[in-house]
Amino acid sequence: MESLPRLGYGLGLRPVYYDEILSTRPPVDWFEIISENYMIPGGRPLAMLERFRADYPIVMHGVSMSLASTDPLDLDYLKALKALADRVEPAWVSDHLAWTGVHGRNLHDLLPIPYTREALDHVVERIGRVQDILKRRLVVENASTYVSFTQSEMPEWEFVAQMAERADCLLLLDVNNVFVSGFNHGFDVNAFIDAVPADRVAQFHMAGHTDNETHLIDTHDQPIREEVWTLYERARRRFGGVSVMIERDDNFPPFSELLGELQRMRDIDAAIASNASRSAA
Amino acid sequence: MKLSELQSLFQSAVLTGDAEDAAILDIVAPPRDADRPTMMGVYVNAYRLRLAEFLDEDYPALRVLLGDDDFEALVEAYIDENPSRLRNARWYTTRLPEFMQESESWSANALAIGLALFERALTDAYDAADAPAQSIETLAEFSPQDWPCLGFTFHPSLRLIEVAAGTLDAYGAATADEDEARSAEEDEGALEDRPMDANESETIAIWRSDLDPAYRQLDPDEYLALFEAMEGQSFGDICQLVAFQNEGQSATERLARFLVTWFSEGLVIGVAEAK
Repeated sequence: MESLPRLGYGLGLRPVYYDEILSTRPPVDWFEIISENYMIPGGRPLAMLERFRADYPIVMHGVSMSLASTDPLDLDYLKALKALADRVEPAWVSDHLAWTGVHGRNLHDLLPIPYTREALDHVVERIGRVQDILKRRLVVENASTYVSFTQSEMPEWEFVAQMAERADCLLLLDVNNVFVSGFNHGFDVNAFIDAVPADRVAQFHMAGHTDNETHLIDTHDQPIREEVWTLYERARRRFGGVSVMIERDDNFPPFSELLGELQRMRDIDAAIASNASRSAA
Repeated sequence: MKLSELQSLFQSAVLTGDAEDAAILDIVAPPRDADRPTMMGVYVNAYRLRLAEFLDEDYPALRVLLGDDDFEALVEAYIDENPSRLRNARWYTTRLPEFMQESESWSANALAIGLALFERALTDAYDAADAPAQSIETLAEFSPQDWPCLGFTFHPSLRLIEVAAGTLDAYGAATADEDEARSAEEDEGALEDRPMDANESETIAIWRSDLDPAYRQLDPDEYLALFEAMEGQSFGDICQLVAFQNEGQSATERLARFLVTWFSEGLVIGVAEAK
């Protein structure tokens, strides 16, 4: 299977950091944008994006494709997304295994699905159509979820694995989302990591979440938590050097803190590589 | 249960804001530690919080003018009556000024509506389409006898609004630096209570200059001239339509002076003989 480039260690491109990135040229290998924030007529966001993409690889990550919705695919949205992709020439385009609304409504959230054969057939068919329209392979992310459904016929990881194989799409493994959903629903997060097909994973997401004691919420407004770092190590050992980035969307820290988290990833990966080469010797 | 039915039930619970008694709970699996309404409540709460955040981001001065309680009441009412049908959240907040105009609770507050219209225009100017501005030298391409026939096209970000008198003052007070803002908040009541002729208004042009929104209050004659020019009227027609006889200047001279300003502000993106 064709594989996507390994871009290294990236961050979410957020306006609050624009000036610092431009003035300091920090050691970030690539940036991920929220596609919808740039699906606008013109102005500063697109002008800034042009400047960043001259210096860094860009990946487009969307939140509104509503892949699992039973509403018809929004062709106007997909047309606008393709137009942005044609302009930005991203390394790849991703969105979520989720739905955002039905009956023409949009709840602007990533909503959960039952892991049923019906839902699988539905999502697979839609990913295929999206890939035809975008003329590129889609990268699909596992979302954080807060409810699961009694109708589910398989665990999430089996659904994700079958989806990727049948739709011939790639996967964005959000390590924090695996942890959050695993905690909320009580599933084995290691089983999730171990079951996802290794040759389908093109990217990792890392992020912080909020601990409400009885449940976790994927808020992207905290440092990455220790348990997620542990899971990251497991994912890194299994999936090798796929591209990784940190999502930070609120409670923005000094940029240096995010660079520190990226450095921690590099250190973990270097230690894994070093151990592997020692074992091989 | 079919996927479509499940999604309808789920959405209904979110839109009605009822996580306690929602029918969807019958098919929600037991969470690990929390109870099912709590977990469903994550989606219910996030929905309203997210939409409120969009409004907060686009109307910061309106929040200061109204005060937190009234602004939040407005936001709640808007969310209740305006479930989003938009794929991109960027435009969710666009209808707020019209919502206020149509609402019994806010339609009498001309200053608040004016401020909402103004802040919406700023937001629209921020990401309106790009177009290179023309310099005034463009006019040199036309002979003086062609001038009466010339028409102009303007930057896609340019908006003209006619709003309640005091709108720009209210915006200035709300967006002043922190100390000034505190004092403005103390004066907030005074600003709202200021006696105002319902017919009293001010006219404002809003556009994007380089990459940032810009605005300027217009005198009534410049507003009229710019309005007509944006409608495609020719230089000669605007001179005839607008009675520029104040300050002892001829209509042509006065309009020429406006044109110089419009060019210097980057508002003009095209000059051609009007059809």
